[in-house]
Amino acid sequence: MRDLYQRLAISPEANEQDIKRAVTSCQHSVLRQDAESVFAVAERRAAYDTLHETVSDIGRLRARLGLTHGAHWQGDVANDFSMPPDQAVSRHDELIGRVGLAVSLYNRWQRFRGPWLLITVFTTGASVGLALGLALCLGLIPM
Amino acid sequence: MSIARFSPFELLLLKSRSQVDTATLLLLAWVLVHRQHISEGQRRRRLADVSAQFRHGHELTPVMSIAHSQDLQAIQLAAEVVRKECSKARSLSVIHKAISVATDDGALSIANHYILRFLADLLNVAPVTLATLFQELTGAPLSSPEDPSRDAYWQIHDPDYHARKAREAAAAEQKARQEQARAEQQQRQKNEREQHKQQKQQDKQRRQDEARRAREQEQQRKREQTHQQEQEQERARQRKQSEREQRSRGHYSHQQEQRQQQSRNHYSDQQRPSPPPDRTTRALSVLGLRPGATRIEVRHAYRRMAQLHHPDRFYTKSDQQIALASARFQRIKNAYDYLMKTY
Repeated sequence: MRDLYQRLAISPEANEQDIKRAVTSCQHSVLRQDAESVFAVAERRAAYDTLHETVSDIGRLRARLGLTHGAHWQGDVANDFSMPPDQAVSRHDELIGRVGLAVSLYNRWQRFRGPWLLITVFTTGASVGLALGLALCLGLIPM
Repeated sequence: MSIARFSPFELLLLKSRSQVDTATLLLLAWVLVHRQHISEGQRRRRLADVSAQFRHGHELTPVMSIAHSQDLQAIQLAAEVVRKECSKARSLSVIHKAISVATDDGALSIANHYILRFLADLLNVAPVTLATLFQELTGAPLSSPEDPSRDAYWQIHDPDYHARKAREAAAAEQKARQEQARAEQQQRQKNEREQHKQQKQQDKQRRQDEARRAREQEQQRKREQTHQQEQEQERARQRKQSEREQRSRGHYSHQQEQRQQQSRNHYSDQQRPSPPPDRTTRALSVLGLRPGATRIEVRHAYRRMAQLHHPDRFYTKSDQQIALASARFQRIKNAYDYLMKTY
């Protein structure tokens, strides 16, 4: 499995005209023949594209997991689909970090819930009392 | 604080009773998704079948949907969890399950070839182990994956297309041949007509040529007669002159020889420092000299350059500068050695 797009220096989203131009201008005769037979028929290109996507996903995974020099990753595939490691951190570490943050937020909420409850109860009680007193003063409520 | 929420797989993993089992489940679902010629219900049943011993304790449907969406981050997370948690025996059992899920009866798809190998690398399973495991489970050796980026693959897997193409090509060729035959016939007729015309022309020209040649021959004869007379006169004049010269040469010959020898010596003096070969010029330019410098000049230049570039002068500077200086010094020394050998 080789990355024909990379070898022809085109993007996987290129339209048919661009591909045809790149194929005809290719200097390597064997590669040109292969590319012609893959890109000549739409179904073949679709099949190739699905596999291409999967294999490049695997290449990306291998780069992130540090498996770009594995014993099972040899030859053309390793040459064409090994990506440089990107800045993505370990997902597991990130998950643990986020869970830890959520836990600390929850803890803080639990710790502060008592006083806040007291405060809210007090303020609501006070406001109700004030309203009642005001109503009494204005004589809205008959004695 | 990140605004991103927990992804569905992360929530699943957090809710799961056994994280390794959930992660393994996702990887197996990933393998199943890439299996061809199998319905969605079959996939789900197969996954339920293989996860009978698992202790995850949640639904399988969300796992399947995550696998279908090709969520790379979820798969990466699952791979990390599996790598972190699996012991040697357990990882072998995971590979075992993956192989059996990937090839129940049918062939291994190309994508699954790569996925299985990825899992084997992830779980530190050697190629030999994977091959024997595969052989034991399926009864067929693990071949290398086919390559749809090559012409040969499509020759095998899509022979109809090639047969059609060959037929079209044959038809086109036949058509071309017929056209060529017709064109040839036309050309032949035209040629015949032209030949007739040419023969007539040639006859005419031949007659004209003969007449001209006769005229020219006559002229030539006249010219030759006059030429012979002139030549005889010339020969008589030359004889007289040569007699006169022989008389005077006895006097001059000695002086002339001496002069010739001198000029030859001079010439060889100029020739000796032949245009210096490329390497000499380069060596001289390393020492900052022009081609044609003398041995003494070379020695002086070498002493000066060696003092300037000696690595000991740079010992207070950084390591890299010392390395550079020693490289420079080595080059100068090489140039000097070479010049001393050749000069």
